[in-house]
Amino acid sequence: MNKRRMLNEKNLDAFVQDLINAGTRVISPIRRKEQGRETATYAAVQNPEEILLAGPQPALPLKDVVFPPTETLFNWKQVKSSIRIKENPEGFKKTVVIGARPCDAAAMEIVDRVMGWDYRDELWFGRRQATTVLAVACSQCDDACFCTAVGLSPTNARGADCFLTPGEGGFEVETLTSKGEELLESHHGRFTQAKDPAKTQPAELENKVRANLSLQPEKIQQWLERHFDDPLWKQLALRCHGCGACAFICPTCHCFDIVDEPEGIDCGRRRRNWDACQPALFTMHGSGHNPRKDQTARFRQRIMHKFNIYPARFGEILCTGCGRCVRVCAAGMDLVSILGEISYMAEEAGSTS
Amino acid sequence: MQELRDLAKKLFQEKRVDAILGYEIDRRGGVRPAFATQIEDCDRLVFDHRCVHNLASYVSPRRTHVADLGRLGIVVKACDARAIAGLIRENQIKREDIVLIGMRCGGVVRDPAISEPLDPANVAQRCIGCEQREPTLYDHLVGAPKPAPAGERRRNARLSEIESMSPEERLALWKELLGRCTRCHACRQVCPMCFCERCVADKTRPAWIETSPHMRGNFAWHLTRALHLAGRCVDCGECERACPAQIPLGLLNRKAANIVAARYGYTVTDDPAKPAPIGAYRLDDEQEFIA
Repeated sequence: MNKRRMLNEKNLDAFVQDLINAGTRVISPIRRKEQGRETATYAAVQNPEEILLAGPQPALPLKDVVFPPTETLFNWKQVKSSIRIKENPEGFKKTVVIGARPCDAAAMEIVDRVMGWDYRDELWFGRRQATTVLAVACSQCDDACFCTAVGLSPTNARGADCFLTPGEGGFEVETLTSKGEELLESHHGRFTQAKDPAKTQPAELENKVRANLSLQPEKIQQWLERHFDDPLWKQLALRCHGCGACAFICPTCHCFDIVDEPEGIDCGRRRRNWDACQPALFTMHGSGHNPRKDQTARFRQRIMHKFNIYPARFGEILCTGCGRCVRVCAAGMDLVSILGEISYMAEEAGSTS
Repeated sequence: MQELRDLAKKLFQEKRVDAILGYEIDRRGGVRPAFATQIEDCDRLVFDHRCVHNLASYVSPRRTHVADLGRLGIVVKACDARAIAGLIRENQIKREDIVLIGMRCGGVVRDPAISEPLDPANVAQRCIGCEQREPTLYDHLVGAPKPAPAGERRRNARLSEIESMSPEERLALWKELLGRCTRCHACRQVCPMCFCERCVADKTRPAWIETSPHMRGNFAWHLTRALHLAGRCVDCGECERACPAQIPLGLLNRKAANIVAARYGYTVTDDPAKPAPIGAYRLDDEQEFIA
């Protein structure tokens, strides 16, 4: 493993075309024009020329590749007095992701922890198994990015099977898993031997991200553990509209709802749909009682889960610093300044105790 | 700006408000909603072409944590005042319970993070052709008169394009647009007129609208919402701005508004005394569709 390979632009297109021809679903950042600006979005590639590896971060995360917004758990049909069940009717499509951002690739590995915890989620792992991730080093960042504050970086290969680093005329490809090695080996004609030793990435981008926010996560966790009733929560939640946008565009948010939908008099489907902790309905009991009675309680939950509950249980922060929640929020809720504020208070608390 | 801050301080001093909803500069250099709860906070208040947000969304009675602040003063543009009027008209708030700080407005940008001056390329779509430079519903009016924003694209241009399509083309377009929806309900949560205690989309016994983000569920949700907002939508554009999937939802609302204007002669206004068709009955209402 860890053979150093090169993939030039022409071979990249051919590699993608080979995969598509073989019936593999290829997901990549695709060029899109929105209101005159060039943006990117992860989508199934139809034509290799649409791929935009060096562009801006895709507006939506990669998670729907392994965790679709809606999926069928099983179909059911009544036959006389019994029910016939057909599980996972959609199956798992062989998928290769080319150009996952480090924040999106790492997210999948972080969420693996909960998906394989007290119950092994076969649908999640089935798709994970069927998906090979080729991540690419970031070439752009903005004032919402903060991956370096949560232990990642624009060149971090966590969660990836292969990692692409832009170089002269193409990408240097580092292989990290046997799944990645298998894929590259079966398309070996498209790759060449890397000549020069791996170039160290310019630290410029990483420094830019670092300037947005720096944290000591364990101090944040300690502060959260002791400040469930801090006045900060109410102050922050005033602005929050209680929609699910931040959770739905978050690469690590993974909550879901399960619904039964009839599709005729004697048949139907059980589905799993994305859900989010910010709308009131999420914790509403059948009795009408809601243990998270207001937005203060609901917004606190979002921060607690990511920076205290998940770290306590799995030793991982449930956030990869992609910054999408900052960019998407219609109310200007800004996780970077919120974490900065908590970090400041944690320092204050530490110095006076 | 100083005029706004001085007025805000005066309102606190005279004990006419407990809190003021306005705008402030955020970390990224854009603008976000501000909650001034004491006189010292008033120096943070700003108002300019980046003040996109419709703050009326925060005063609907389901925002209990905002209501807890006490008597509110709210900074409103003309479009925001239409939402306040809607909330009064539909008995959600009482006129005498709020203090309205009306702002003269020359249009806003489409995204509060845009720091460049207002120009035809970055102006919010809804501002092009907006004829209301200031609200008529206010307690205090602030700022110098401003010119109407310039823009290249006519307000209804995209709508006319879609109306001229064949039904098959239209269906294909909406399948692509609504197919992007993942049902985060940001459109509903930011909407000042979506104040239902329990939204029809949240009802489960029976589930009138399927919660799954498939075509059936998404069409049912967005069309129901558009119908419920017919003659009520104030065209503030918040649903479009909040949508993470960038679905141009305002097109549905604008289409409905045009139908209401043509059939009932009603355009949404910031006069709370003028009844809206959805909440009023007239003997001469058109009813041929019943027969």
